[in-house]
Amino acid sequence: MSGLDKFSEKVTRNVARATSRRSLLTLIGGALTGAAVIPVLPVSRAQAQTHGGGGDPVAPQSSGNPQDPGDQTKCDYWRYCAIDGFLCSCCGGSPSSCPPGTEMSPITWIGTCQNPADNRAYIISYNDCCGKSSCGRCLCNRNENDRPMVRPQANNDINWCLGTSSSVYNCSTAVILGVALEQQ
Amino acid sequence: MPRIARGAIFAALMVSASASGAADYPQPLPEEPVPAVAELPEHYPDSWVFVQDLHFNSLPDGRAAIVDVGADNNNLRGQIPVAQFGVMLPSTTRGEIYVGETFYSRLTRGERTDVITIWDTKTLTPKDEIVLPGGKRGLFVTLRNSLQLTNDEKWALVFNFTPGASVTVVDLDGRKILSDIELPGCSLVYPTGPRGFTSLCADGTMTSIALDAAGNAGPAVTSAVFNDIDDDPLFMTPAMVGRTGWFVSFKGHVRAIDFSGAAAKDLGSFALPKQDGGEPEWRPGGWQVISADRAGLLYILMNPKSGEGTHKDGGTEAWVVDPKTKTLVRRIALRNHSVSIEATQQERPLLVASRPDGSLDVYDAASGAFVRTIVSVVHDPMTMTAAR
Repeated sequence: MSGLDKFSEKVTRNVARATSRRSLLTLIGGALTGAAVIPVLPVSRAQAQTHGGGGDPVAPQSSGNPQDPGDQTKCDYWRYCAIDGFLCSCCGGSPSSCPPGTEMSPITWIGTCQNPADNRAYIISYNDCCGKSSCGRCLCNRNENDRPMVRPQANNDINWCLGTSSSVYNCSTAVILGVALEQQ
Repeated sequence: MPRIARGAIFAALMVSASASGAADYPQPLPEEPVPAVAELPEHYPDSWVFVQDLHFNSLPDGRAAIVDVGADNNNLRGQIPVAQFGVMLPSTTRGEIYVGETFYSRLTRGERTDVITIWDTKTLTPKDEIVLPGGKRGLFVTLRNSLQLTNDEKWALVFNFTPGASVTVVDLDGRKILSDIELPGCSLVYPTGPRGFTSLCADGTMTSIALDAAGNAGPAVTSAVFNDIDDDPLFMTPAMVGRTGWFVSFKGHVRAIDFSGAAAKDLGSFALPKQDGGEPEWRPGGWQVISADRAGLLYILMNPKSGEGTHKDGGTEAWVVDPKTKTLVRRIALRNHSVSIEATQQERPLLVASRPDGSLDVYDAASGAFVRTIVSVVHDPMTMTAAR
């Protein structure tokens, strides 16, 4: 987890460039309380099947770039290794962008995922998209190392649409922040 | 055919149809007054259960269903809205249901308003509301202990998360905010003593805060570390037996916390007896995984395919545990994979298991016999609360 600390500064700087003072203050507040966590998510894999996991699959989408392989509408796409929520790729956005008219949350959970094409470990930021109601498509729920609400920074049941003008949750992205240098 | 002619033929058919049966029923059915709206008893029977719907596919439109799990039919007795990661809490003494919820003036945007909405148990209409200041009510998948009552149910305790943690103390009679108590590093509220609460903290301790007559915080009492959050954390929702909260951990340790005094007291833990058949092992799994009946027996939702990360996967059996003897009394095989469980507070309790599709399976808690399925009660049945 030491990598997380190393990268938090970079994330803070990135967010500072991209957001308002109010959002930045909220982010700093979050950092001070040790909070920077996964987006919202409910329960149970069985539960997930009732939210777009069952029945016919969403038509596959790929980046078209062989260095970024996989179906971006599926939970097993490499960037989604620590994601929780509706995939923005299925909702009008992409792995790295929110759907039109939503607002990207400045507070995020950061995970490290291995890209199977170039075998590099990438730092992935799971920014929530906020301000429109639940997308309802392509719910992914992974709970490895998830801990209860008693430890918010490790809990994925929390709605991380914090520091946005609306806290209504729409979907989750998986943005590449950079290569995880410490693993090389 | 002209429309009038068609209508005449239809009317004639109707007359002849009614004429053929009229001899059997000399009196017509009575006229029925409109409008007509059903009402509920002020105090609900103990076969009723509140089933809260997170409604993850449309979070601003959460709700709770009031369900009679003991009846053969007419099971769904009414609904109340519980908006946007809301939480509902029935009073046991005041004939009211409290809902902590969050609204935006334009549904998904505009001005945010957090409120406690007060619902009348008899009419299921909103009696009043208390606006919560600061737009900071904690928004997360429903946990009952984000809204609780203390001081003989005269005050409500609201857990806030911004991500800074705090608790708002609300006077339900006076309809006013009494205090806001900062709670760095701690989560949720567990009513403690005559007037106060405990929170579980990220360092594995718990902190108890007694409130004075004005609702202000007295000195905090922090316990020794007892919650092994890294290796074997407690699920956040306990089963309450009197003022004792029975928690269960990810790996199946049952722990009692005494909330009757001014400061909560850890009463120790014991391990669930190991059972065969796990692949690789049995552990608690689901959302609300532990419940208790009036006799103090515990019911724990168990998943045979457990390991790291399976704690929300739901379960296939309910294990009945007697905490006095620390023994496994019975294993109830559930008909369907279930998300949450709740025991009714009846003399002969029923065990309710909620399914991912929003249906409820009901079992005789004493025998484990399947009783009935109540289909499509809600969308996402995360939490259930038996009437008391």
